[in-house]
Amino acid sequence: MTSLLPRVLLGAVAASALLAGTAFAQDYPTQPITVIVPFSAGGPTDTVARLVAQAMSADLGQQVLIQNVGGAGGTLGAGQAAAAANDGYTLLLHHIGMSTAPSLYADLPFDSIDDFEPIGLITTVPMTIVARADFEPETLEELIPYIQENGEAVIYGNAGIGAASQLCGLLLQEALGAKMTEVPYQGTGPAMTDLLGGQIDMMCDQTTNTTNQILAGEIKAYAVTTPERVESLPDIPTAIESGLDLDVGIWHGLYAPAGTDQAIIDRLSESLQLALADETVASRFAELGTAPAPAEDATPAALAETLASQIELWRGVFESAGVAAQ
Amino acid sequence: MAVQASRNDLATAAIFVAIGGYFVLESLNYTLGTPLRMGPGFMPIALGSILILLGLVVAVGAFTHADPEEDRPFPWRGIALVLGTIIFFGATIRGLGFIPVVFLSALGTALASRENNPVSAVIIAVALTILCFVIFVLALGLQVRWFGPWLPF
Amino acid sequence: MDLFASLALGFSVALDPWNIFFCFIGVLLGTLVGVLPGIGPTATIAMLLPITFTLSPASALIMLAGIYYGAQYGGSTTAILINLPGESSAAVTAIDGYQMARQGRAGPALATAALGSFFAGSVSTLLLAYFAPPLARAALNFGPAEYFSLIVLGLLVSIALAHGSIIKALGMIVIGLLLGMVGQDIYTGQPRFTFGFRELFGGINFVSVAVGVFGIAEILRNLENEQTREVMVKKVKNLWLTKDDFKRIAAPVLRGTVLGALLGVLPGGGHILSSFASYSAEKRLSKNPQEFGKGAIEGVAGPESANNAAAQTSFIPLMTLGIPAHPVMALMVGAFILQGITPGPNVINDEPELFWGIIASMWVGNVLLVLLNLPLIGLWVKMLSIPYRILFPSIVLFACIGCYSINLNLFDIYAIAVFGLLGYLLIRFGCEPAPLLLGFVLGPLLEEHLRRAMIISRGDPTVFITRPISATLLALALAAVILALLPSIRKKRDEVFVEED
Repeated sequence: MTSLLPRVLLGAVAASALLAGTAFAQDYPTQPITVIVPFSAGGPTDTVARLVAQAMSADLGQQVLIQNVGGAGGTLGAGQAAAAANDGYTLLLHHIGMSTAPSLYADLPFDSIDDFEPIGLITTVPMTIVARADFEPETLEELIPYIQENGEAVIYGNAGIGAASQLCGLLLQEALGAKMTEVPYQGTGPAMTDLLGGQIDMMCDQTTNTTNQILAGEIKAYAVTTPERVESLPDIPTAIESGLDLDVGIWHGLYAPAGTDQAIIDRLSESLQLALADETVASRFAELGTAPAPAEDATPAALAETLASQIELWRGVFESAGVAAQ
Repeated sequence: MAVQASRNDLATAAIFVAIGGYFVLESLNYTLGTPLRMGPGFMPIALGSILILLGLVVAVGAFTHADPEEDRPFPWRGIALVLGTIIFFGATIRGLGFIPVVFLSALGTALASRENNPVSAVIIAVALTILCFVIFVLALGLQVRWFGPWLPF
Repeated sequence: MDLFASLALGFSVALDPWNIFFCFIGVLLGTLVGVLPGIGPTATIAMLLPITFTLSPASALIMLAGIYYGAQYGGSTTAILINLPGESSAAVTAIDGYQMARQGRAGPALATAALGSFFAGSVSTLLLAYFAPPLARAALNFGPAEYFSLIVLGLLVSIALAHGSIIKALGMIVIGLLLGMVGQDIYTGQPRFTFGFRELFGGINFVSVAVGVFGIAEILRNLENEQTREVMVKKVKNLWLTKDDFKRIAAPVLRGTVLGALLGVLPGGGHILSSFASYSAEKRLSKNPQEFGKGAIEGVAGPESANNAAAQTSFIPLMTLGIPAHPVMALMVGAFILQGITPGPNVINDEPELFWGIIASMWVGNVLLVLLNLPLIGLWVKMLSIPYRILFPSIVLFACIGCYSINLNLFDIYAIAVFGLLGYLLIRFGCEPAPLLLGFVLGPLLEEHLRRAMIISRGDPTVFITRPISATLLALALAAVILALLPSIRKKRDEVFVEED
C-alpha cells in the first residue's frame, strides 16, 4: 500500500522522461549515473561492479556511482531498478540471479526480460569443484563414481537458495545422476570455514572464493566448470575435459530500465566494451579468477540471448530438482 | 497475602503470550520436518511455545504482589508524534526527497516535547536539516534525491 | 621469520608517516561516524569503502581497519551517552554505561571504555602476531555442533544481563530469538513471518531493532513526564577515574581481554558473545552484583575490553584463512580484493609487509584512538548539556537516516517505530531490552547450527554430547543454570518484593 503511490508517480516521471529522452540522448550523460547492485557492498558482484564503474566513469566523463540495494536474493534491487526512471541515469548490474529469480520467487515485482533493456555481458566467473583436503577421491575421474556410489553420504555445502554454489551443485548432481546431502550456509564464507575444518566434504563455488585456498593446498580442486581452463589455476582441468558434461559460470550483465533511449543504450554498451578492454580491469578480473567478456559479448544482443536461454535452462533444472518458487 | 495483582506483570504476560501465539500459529503453516532435516517451522514452534509458557508463569506470579505506587502518565503525544514521524519518514523519503522529509520529520519530533513551542521547533528543524544534509549527503555521500519526484520542480 | 623480525617489518610499514596519517584518518572517521546513532561499523565501512580505492593496498587496509575499530569505539560513546547501541556489543556497554552517565559519571565511563579498549587492543595485537596461525587452526575444530553448544551456553549465562526478574529476562531472550527468525529460511527458501513483504526476506535489520528498543524506547520514557522528571544528567562530577575506580576496573579489563581474545578467534559467531560473556562473568564474580544495571563501572570495563579484544582477534580467521567472521570482515574481504589481494592462507607469506603492517598498525591505531578520545571526553560530556528537547529530535532523525542509508530499505525505518513501541511497552512493564538484542543476534545462528549439525550427523542428536568440545560447553551451560537457580530459589521469597525496585 505504501509503495503504490510512489510507484505510480515514478511511472509518470518515467513516461515524461521517455518523451524527453530523444532530445537529450546526444548529450548523454550530463549527470552522474547510478548503478544499482542488488547485493551488499564488498561481495563478489559488488567488486565486479566497482571495477567496471571506475573504468566507465573515465570514458563517460561522468561519475558512475554504485548503490547497494541488497535483499531477497537480489530481487529487491532489481525491482527498484525496474521501477526507476528510464533516462539512462539508473542502471542495474546483476548476475545469473536475473535468470533464476523467475523460477525461485513467486510474484516478482519485475519481469527479467520485459522490464529491462540489456546493455551487455560483463564477465562470466568460473566455478570450481572443490573438496576438503583429506577427501578420498583424488581426481574428477575418481570423484564421479565415488559420488554415484556413496550418494547421500557425501555432504556438500552451499550458500543457500539461488546462490551460485547451489546452482552449480544442482547442475553437478544432474550431470552425475546422483543426489548428495545438501547443507546450506549463510553465504560462502561460513561454508568455506566448515570445508577447511573438514565438517563437510565438498563445495562448488566461484573462483573468487576458492582460488587462494586451492593454491595454498588447503582444499582439493577437481575441476573448473567453464569450457576453458582458468588462467590463475592452470593445472586444474575443466569438467568437460574429464568427461563430465557441466558448463556453468556466474555471468554478470548490465541493464537499463525498459524504454531507455536506444542511443543511450548504444553509448553505454560502447563504454562497457571500452571498460572491459581496460588493462587494470583485466588484471583485477584475472586476480578474481575470471576474465572480461569479449567485446562481441558486451552487447545488448548477446546479453538478451544469454538471459533468455538461461531463464529456460534454470526453469528446467529447478523443476526437475523439485525447487518451488517462494 | 496480596490481593492486588501486578498490572505490569499481567501486561508483560499478555505480550509474551501474544507474540508466542503469533509465532506458533504462523509456524503451523510451515513444514515441521524430521530430526534429520528440520523444517522451517520447527524452531519457531518450539520457541513460541516456550514463550507462551514463560508468559503464563509471569501471569501466575503477578498475583503474588502489587505494583509499587508511581505516577507514570502514558506519553500519548510523544508516541504519536515520534512514531508517526518515523513512519512518515519511511513513507515519503523516496517521494519527497531528503530535504523536505528531514525538515518535516524534525519538526514533527520536536513538537513531541511539550518543552518546545512552534517557533523553537521550526528553529530546531532548520538547524537539523542543515546538519543532516552536511553529514549524510555532503560528507558521507548518501545517495538520495534532495527533492523527490513528488515535488513539481 | 621470527616474531621480532616480523614485528619490526610490520612497524616499519605502520610507522611510515603516510600510513600513520591514514591510520589516524581512519580512526577519526570511524569515531565520528560511529558516534552518530544508527550507524554501526558495517554501514560506516560500506559507505567509506570507495574513498580507499585510490590508496596503496597497505594504506587502504590500514585505514579501513582503523575505521572499523574507531567506529566500534565511537559506538560505545553513543551507547554510554544516549543509550543508543549501534551494534550488539555496545548494547552491553549501554546497560551500565548509560546509568553512569545519568549519575553524572559519563566521564569515568568513557575513560574506562577508552583505557579498557586500549589495553585489550594492545594485548590482542600481540596475540594476533604470535598465535594467529595456530589459533585459526584450533578454531576450525569448531563445527556446527560446537557452535550450537557455545550459543546455548552464551544464552544461558546471559540471563545475568538482567537485574530484575529472571523469567522476564528469559522471555525477552526468546522474543529476540523469534524475531531473529523472521525472513527467508536458508534451508528451504521458505519466507517466514514476513507478511508477504519481500523487504523482510532478508530478516529484520539489527540496527533498527537496537535503535528501537534502546533509543526510541528511552526517548518515549523520557517524554512520560517531562516537567517533573529530570530527563538528562545530574551534575557532571568528574571527568577522570578516581583511584578507587582504577582498582575496580583492573581485574575486569584483564578478564575481559582474555575472554574476548579467545572468543574473537571463532569465526562462527564467537565475537558476538564476547561482551555478553564478559558482562555475565563480571556480575557473577562481583562482590556487589546488585550494583550491575545501576551504573557499575565493572559492567563497562569488562565488556568494552572483551569487545575490543574480539574485534582485533576476529581478524585472525580473515588474515590467516581468508574467511570472514562477520559482515564487517566480509566487507574487508571486498576491500582486499579491490586492492588486488585475495585474503587467504597465502597472504602471510606472499605479502608479509602487508600482513605484519596491518597487525602493527592496529596497535598504532589503538594508541591514536586513546590519544584522540581522551581529550574528546570533555567534549562528549558537554554534549549532554544540550537541552533534551533539541537532543532527542536529532537522535530520531540520525537513526532514521542512518538505518535507511545501510540498505535503502524502507522497512528498516518502519521497524524502528515498531520496535520503539514494543520496547517501550516491555520496558514500562519491567522487562529489559539487552537480553532481547542478544537473542536477536543469536537466534538465526542457533537455528542454523542446530539444523546443520543434525543434517551432518544424519539425524543423530547424540552428536552434541559425543563431540568433546561440544559436551564440555553443554556441561558448562548446565552448571551455569544450576548456579543461577540455586541462590534464586533460596532468595525467591525476598526477591518478589525487591524486583520491582
